[in-house]
Amino acid sequence: MEGLFFNVNGGFVEGIVRGYRNSLLTGQNYSNLTQCETIDDVKLQLGPAYGDFLASLPPNPPTSALAGKMTDKLVSEFRYLVAQSVGSTAKFLEYLTYGYMIDNIALLITGTLHERDTRELLERCHPLGWFETLPVLCVATNIEELYNSVLIETPLAPYFKGSLSHQDLDELNIEIVRNTLYKNYLEDFHNFVQTHPDFSGPTQEIMSEILQFEADRRAINITLNSFGTELSKQERRKLYPEFGNLYPEGSLMLSRAEDVEGVALAVSAVSDYKSFFDAVGLSQGGGGLGGMGGGPADGKSLEDLFYQKEMEMSKFVFTRQFTPAVVYAWMKLKEQEIRNVTWISECIAQNQKERIGNFISVF
Amino acid sequence: MSGAVGREPVFPTRQSLGLMKSKLKGAETGHSLLKRKSEALTKRFREITRRIDEAKRKMGRVMQIAAFSLAEVSYAVGGDIGYQVQESAKQARFRVRAKQENVSGVFLPQFESYTQDGVNDFALTGLGKGGQQIQRCRETYARAVETLVELASLQTAFLILDEVIKVVNRRVLTKSSEHVIIPRTENTIKYINSELDELDREEFYRLKKVSGKKQRDNAAADAEILAARKKAEAEEAAGGVVAAEPETADILGEQEDNDVIF
Amino acid sequence: MASAATYKDRQLLAVIGDEDSVTGLLLAGIGHVTEGADAQRNFLVVDAKTETSQIEQAFQNFTQERKDIAVLLINQHIAERIRHSVDSFADPFPAVLEIPSKDHPYDPEKDSVLKRVRRLFGE
Repeated sequence: MEGLFFNVNGGFVEGIVRGYRNSLLTGQNYSNLTQCETIDDVKLQLGPAYGDFLASLPPNPPTSALAGKMTDKLVSEFRYLVAQSVGSTAKFLEYLTYGYMIDNIALLITGTLHERDTRELLERCHPLGWFETLPVLCVATNIEELYNSVLIETPLAPYFKGSLSHQDLDELNIEIVRNTLYKNYLEDFHNFVQTHPDFSGPTQEIMSEILQFEADRRAINITLNSFGTELSKQERRKLYPEFGNLYPEGSLMLSRAEDVEGVALAVSAVSDYKSFFDAVGLSQGGGGLGGMGGGPADGKSLEDLFYQKEMEMSKFVFTRQFTPAVVYAWMKLKEQEIRNVTWISECIAQNQKERIGNFISVF
Repeated sequence: MSGAVGREPVFPTRQSLGLMKSKLKGAETGHSLLKRKSEALTKRFREITRRIDEAKRKMGRVMQIAAFSLAEVSYAVGGDIGYQVQESAKQARFRVRAKQENVSGVFLPQFESYTQDGVNDFALTGLGKGGQQIQRCRETYARAVETLVELASLQTAFLILDEVIKVVNRRVLTKSSEHVIIPRTENTIKYINSELDELDREEFYRLKKVSGKKQRDNAAADAEILAARKKAEAEEAAGGVVAAEPETADILGEQEDNDVIF
Repeated sequence: MASAATYKDRQLLAVIGDEDSVTGLLLAGIGHVTEGADAQRNFLVVDAKTETSQIEQAFQNFTQERKDIAVLLINQHIAERIRHSVDSFADPFPAVLEIPSKDHPYDPEKDSVLKRVRRLFGE
């Protein structure tokens, strides 16, 4: 039933995205990339997938430039999708950009707080989080002006309203501001896909699974990263999104956790997370916080495992039809691809070949 | 050589001879001390240079590892944290203090790194994502900076020692002590000795002359007395009155003789 | 010559470098911003747009004017741009240290101190 009218408005976009998905790098491509000796070789290997976008790069470009060009391609493809979409799909795509907008706003807040010229910051803003009135925010010279213009000019106003005042921007650490906004954003997005009549069916199922995972991941990360900082438990709790597999019991336990074991205990109700913690050896209380150095033997950190899971979920999305969620999945896959390529070229550029395999490929 | 060096403008007296002798001794000890100092410093210097070379190479590796850990951060965060980090920096957590090390009287500073407790500008950076990588990156970089500080100590020691050794070597080698003062003093001593000898010889000759003259005088006086006696005897034979007076004069003559011979 | 007064106040490290180097070193905790109206940072980020005169000025500021800096770290490829100043700076304080950057591996041939070392031993 849900497929009956979807294609009227969303069919084209979905078709395009499935085409994009096929151009994602595969395991074969990655193994070719890891054999490269120089960045130029990497560029060559990326040629079929990225084409013109890499053409303007100088020989042996810095990895950041390479990543920048790859992001440009992602952005231009996404903009094309936005231009082609209407109705609820357009709204859905807009939601996807809010996460980047939060980062951009956080950047501008930081700049304004330190009385820097925020115009210089515009080029540092993530292009996906760009909205037409973003430059207007640079006019603000103090935090109160900025706060007011954020409220008026940006779609993020609801995330500020009610949870952050302009004094908060001044006093709270920017990371707390950022995470508060993100929490509000996730809740809003979740609510949006749950309640919008067009999305009943596959979109709702897929997106709530993905967003719940995202919410849990943030809650776990925030908890782990807040150990040893001045972030109090009450403040910490305020940053947890109020949905997800862990909510509410797990969140409550997370908010009370004092160390890594506490976190492991809190997430043990969800088998996926429990297996992650077991895999990186955190639940036994031994080992460091994963990753390089004294981390687990296979070199995977908790974050790596989260990324891996996210990628698998995103891949799985493509088995469903009649949903704009594929756009979300494609974006995540594409971002991971950019990270992977950056990682590989970084390993090549810095001669650290032994860790070059530490990327996530799902195709 | 001695002609070129010349001598000190002193009066050739015994006092100045003593003075010169102690000066020579001082110069010689000073010179050997300086030489020893220069040798000790040079030894140290070479050691430091070697260690700098090593440390610089090590730094290359350490910094590479650190840069790589930053790459891991950008992988985990999936974005750029540079700006935020720059803006959040307020108080230096990682500082150095300098202490001194004494090498043969030269004070070499030694930087020692320490971390200011309770200062952490980046505690919340990467809160939502990548915080663990950032934490690790901070540790990696802190270790790298420790290596850098170590290297900085070596380098400062190198620069200071370089300077000091130049000065010391100048003093050791620039013909001041070894080639000027010591020969000059030796010359002066030789000169004073020869002058003193000369004086001695002159004096001796003078005394000889004096005593020779005295002897001649005595002989003349003796002859006179003898003549007088003969005359007196003749007179005594004739009248026989004055005999005691020339006797006393003779005694005086004897005393003078004694005096001269001392 | 190296009296205690000249360096006992020197506690900070300073850095002139590209964005990555500066970010990393700041993460290690060397960043310091002085209080007050004319807040001074002890770090300078150099990118493609930075003028050489700006680097020069920062170098002078860190080496001559500021008395609280014990060690100045500078990326070697940036030191190359103001090589003259770096080479002619011979004071022991602050120690100027050339460090490698991510994109420019360390080249001992260019280091001004190592150059002196080599000259001394006649190599």
